[in-house]
Amino acid sequence: MHVLDKTVERLEAEAVNSTKTRQPLYAPRKKIFPKRASGSFRRFKWLVMAITLGIYYLTPWLRWDRGPFAPDQAVLLDLANRRFYFFFIEIWPQEFYYVAGLLMMAGIGLFLITSTVGRAWCGYTCPQTVWVDLFLVVERAMEGDRNARMKLDAGPWTARKLVLRATRHAIWLVIAAATGGAWIFYFADAPTLLREVFTGTAAPVAYITIAVLTATTYTFGGLMREQVCTYMCPWPRIQAAMLDENSLTVTYNDWRGEPRSRHAKRVQAAGQPVGDCVDCNACVAVCPMGIDIRYGQQLECITCALCIDACDGVMDKLGKKRGLISYATLSDYNANMAVATGGGSGAVKPSLVLTADGTFSDRLAHFHIRKIFRPRTFAYMGAWSAVGLALLYSLLARERLEVNVLHDRNPQFVTLSDGSIRNGYTVKLLNMVPEPRTIVVTMQGLQGAEMSVVGIDLPAARSFAIPVEPDRLKMLKVFVRQPANQVDDTAQTFKFRVEDMARFESDEYTATFNAPETAR
Amino acid sequence: MSSEHIDEVSGISTTGHEWDGIRELNNPLPRWWVTTFYITIVWAIGYTIAYPAWPMLTSATRGVLGYSSRNHVKNELAAAEAAKAKYVAAVESKTVSEIAADDALREFAVAAGGAAFRVNCVQCHGSGAQGSKGFPNLNDDDWLWGGKAEQIQQTITHGIRFASDPDTRVSEMPAFGDIITADQIAQVSTYVASLSGLVRDARLIEPGANVFAENCAACHGENAKGNKELGAPDLTDAIWLYGPGETAIAAQVRAPKHGVMPAWIGRLGETKVKELAVYIHSLGGGE
Amino acid sequence: MGLMDKHAIIEKNATLLLVGSLLVVTVGGIVEIAPLFYLDNTIEKVEGMRPYSPLELAGRNIYVREGCYLCHSQMIRPFRDEVERYGHYSLAAESMYDHPFQWGSKRTGPDLARVGDRYSNGWHVQHLAEPRSVVPESIMPSYAFLKDTPIEVKDFSTHLVANGRVGVPYTDDMIANANADLMIQADPNADTSGLEGRYPRAKVGDFDGNPQQVTEMDALVAYLQMLGTLVDFKTYDEAAGYR
Repeated sequence: MHVLDKTVERLEAEAVNSTKTRQPLYAPRKKIFPKRASGSFRRFKWLVMAITLGIYYLTPWLRWDRGPFAPDQAVLLDLANRRFYFFFIEIWPQEFYYVAGLLMMAGIGLFLITSTVGRAWCGYTCPQTVWVDLFLVVERAMEGDRNARMKLDAGPWTARKLVLRATRHAIWLVIAAATGGAWIFYFADAPTLLREVFTGTAAPVAYITIAVLTATTYTFGGLMREQVCTYMCPWPRIQAAMLDENSLTVTYNDWRGEPRSRHAKRVQAAGQPVGDCVDCNACVAVCPMGIDIRYGQQLECITCALCIDACDGVMDKLGKKRGLISYATLSDYNANMAVATGGGSGAVKPSLVLTADGTFSDRLAHFHIRKIFRPRTFAYMGAWSAVGLALLYSLLARERLEVNVLHDRNPQFVTLSDGSIRNGYTVKLLNMVPEPRTIVVTMQGLQGAEMSVVGIDLPAARSFAIPVEPDRLKMLKVFVRQPANQVDDTAQTFKFRVEDMARFESDEYTATFNAPETAR
Repeated sequence: MSSEHIDEVSGISTTGHEWDGIRELNNPLPRWWVTTFYITIVWAIGYTIAYPAWPMLTSATRGVLGYSSRNHVKNELAAAEAAKAKYVAAVESKTVSEIAADDALREFAVAAGGAAFRVNCVQCHGSGAQGSKGFPNLNDDDWLWGGKAEQIQQTITHGIRFASDPDTRVSEMPAFGDIITADQIAQVSTYVASLSGLVRDARLIEPGANVFAENCAACHGENAKGNKELGAPDLTDAIWLYGPGETAIAAQVRAPKHGVMPAWIGRLGETKVKELAVYIHSLGGGE
Repeated sequence: MGLMDKHAIIEKNATLLLVGSLLVVTVGGIVEIAPLFYLDNTIEKVEGMRPYSPLELAGRNIYVREGCYLCHSQMIRPFRDEVERYGHYSLAAESMYDHPFQWGSKRTGPDLARVGDRYSNGWHVQHLAEPRSVVPESIMPSYAFLKDTPIEVKDFSTHLVANGRVGVPYTDDMIANANADLMIQADPNADTSGLEGRYPRAKVGDFDGNPQQVTEMDALVAYLQMLGTLVDFKTYDEAAGYR
């Protein structure tokens, strides 16, 4: 094995945020300058970033034709009219349980992901990670990679420093404002609102939202960075509970890395054992959380796998096998540590893990894909699918025509001058499609009774055809009147039936008709 | 005797006193607390300059902001009026029938009238306008003084038997206890009850018919259908203000109660009265 | 700060503390209480205010005796919702002859400052006799006994004299006619011209539906029916009354 000491630079990097080395809470944050990493995980993260940012910024601009009576934005939360549009789906406020169901699926999905591949949410898709990554791109573009940034930071305030810093913060603010801007487009028609925002005619809440999100994005992504994950976010604590010994997580493999040495050649020449880790601190330098993965699994590690890329790069340069830091399960790690320490808790001996010709022993455990499919995974997938199927079924089977009836409580009945009894009702017709339609309201039961509708000048009848606007609830005041000699009880039930002849949709409501004792 | 003393354990000085060997730590007040306290003092001084505060010999300082709670309520009321101005102007310029015919304006007037009803009218007419003994039910189609929108408006404006309003309408049902005999009262009560089907025996009904024709037809009409000009009720329908049945009718004949409806024009103004009229008319019994 | 360190002097000397407290309280009293006795500008200039007529005063005494002020306030505050519900906000001038004022501190029931001429006499009698017969949700106790209790007339003019002593401008004429006015106001057949001359815009006639007797119900309803009706708001200069 040819160990090239000189080709690998040892980086000056402190794990400032690992629990062991962290500042007490009352001391200000120590700045970190994550180095740019390159490798397959970095490339994967760029891809995920592009997709997630793309979805966030571009979705409000997608169009979906719903006819002339409904907005044409594909994804829209129309708070003013209390409707949520998602492509071909339209949700009314009373159907909010779909959101609840989606949130349940999101939760179960998160448990599923974490229990199989570790804190993948945190490291790849969490908005905090994505936006910090984005802001780091800007920082690197302005000031260069790690060493250059550290030098600039430590140096005096020259004109150049001022310009670079100002530009960086300005770009951050623009990105933050665009983030706030993108948020508001989900709540109103995007092209219209964009025009309004720039001509100063948008509603105050739009500007306030942009201001708030600009402030939060800038602060969290630009200034607070890793402190959000360490101090603010509850997910790290919950994620820790989601991991078990068969979950894949970013692991520094002590069993092949120890004992680490900066001067491997010299140590080997002296006949001492030496592990694969050359203590180059590359893993610490690229870490966006400012921790040292070699301390082991820790709360602060978001498993972004950049340290894997960094270490693999160094291993390549040294001609060693990749995977000194890798995704591994705790059970594999423990098994391998047992091998490396000869079953006990003694020091790691490289000789125990290597064969005679320097390759890794067969006794070492490796990850198999089928380990992902264990009972827990199936339980989570089952629950997730069950909720999903329930939502899907509910969505496909729901009615788009409903009736709600409120009986006047005060007074419950009115005796008219000819002795007949009258009850008042507020009838609400829900037309939940974006087209106008005529709903026929009929009363069934209640012998001899007829109804009249306030605002419709026709004589009393058993049935009325009511035009209802698209996507609207129409409220009618209906008086039902029964001749005194037809009243057979103080409380009789009857039905209001609503029908849309064209679509074969109907709904019914069982109502009560009150009368005084003396009417019978 | 006070003396400077630093407590060994905490490093903080004590107040200097000692009671039976017990000392008291002189911890400083928390900085945030002290700062807030000073801020409140500064604020208070500013407040007394800005708002009415300091009493002097015969008056008090008015404050540089010139704030007055009475002026404030005046402005608030004016702002409320301005916000409603468009609708109110429409209500003012139209008659109640015209308002009832215009869908959008009617919706406004019914809502406004309903709100006014719930503040001013429910105490007598009940929370659902159903009335009670002596207070008419406004939901039904029986009207003493007319159920057209304009007639309702007239009733609300000037009231009925309301002494303080010169234009109030008055109907004087005489106290027939002093005019006809008790027998005659009983007979005419039975006759009147029969007109709405409460009594069916022809022998009981007949004597009262004559008493009615001589004493009651003048106001209530030959056919007992009433007279809205005079406020004389229709005696043939199923609705009785003081209760159905011969006893109640006899009591009203003998010593009639005369209900009083206040005149609301002075208290509410014409716009609110119109809105109330539209509201009452929409309750289901309007003519 | 030198002065701040000396506070221990007051803390350790009770007499000094007492004297100091007394001085502070005295200053506070002089500044806050004394002006109320001589300031006149708190009472607005209005037209229409007059002292209570004997029957109204008797009714007011019953109002106080029965503790109506415990649930009913008589102060319409200058807030939009109160003005919209009850009418013009109460002026200080409207209660200047009230000894003591009946502004109240709680509204279990509605404010009564402008209840005059809002409901008919018949309604008041029915409501006072059995509140739930007109307002089903009411928790107000029933005062039916007022209908059966005649007004006790020992010498009602003493009430006017007493009020006169604390500043209510009862004239000698008013005091001389007090007992007669007490009875006349509730009598539908009597000559009320003298009474109406002494107490303009007083309500006359039978209040409780029983013209044979002047009962406590007559008195209380007479009092309620004049509340808030005296001031002529057309001539009131609102801007002068801003405070």
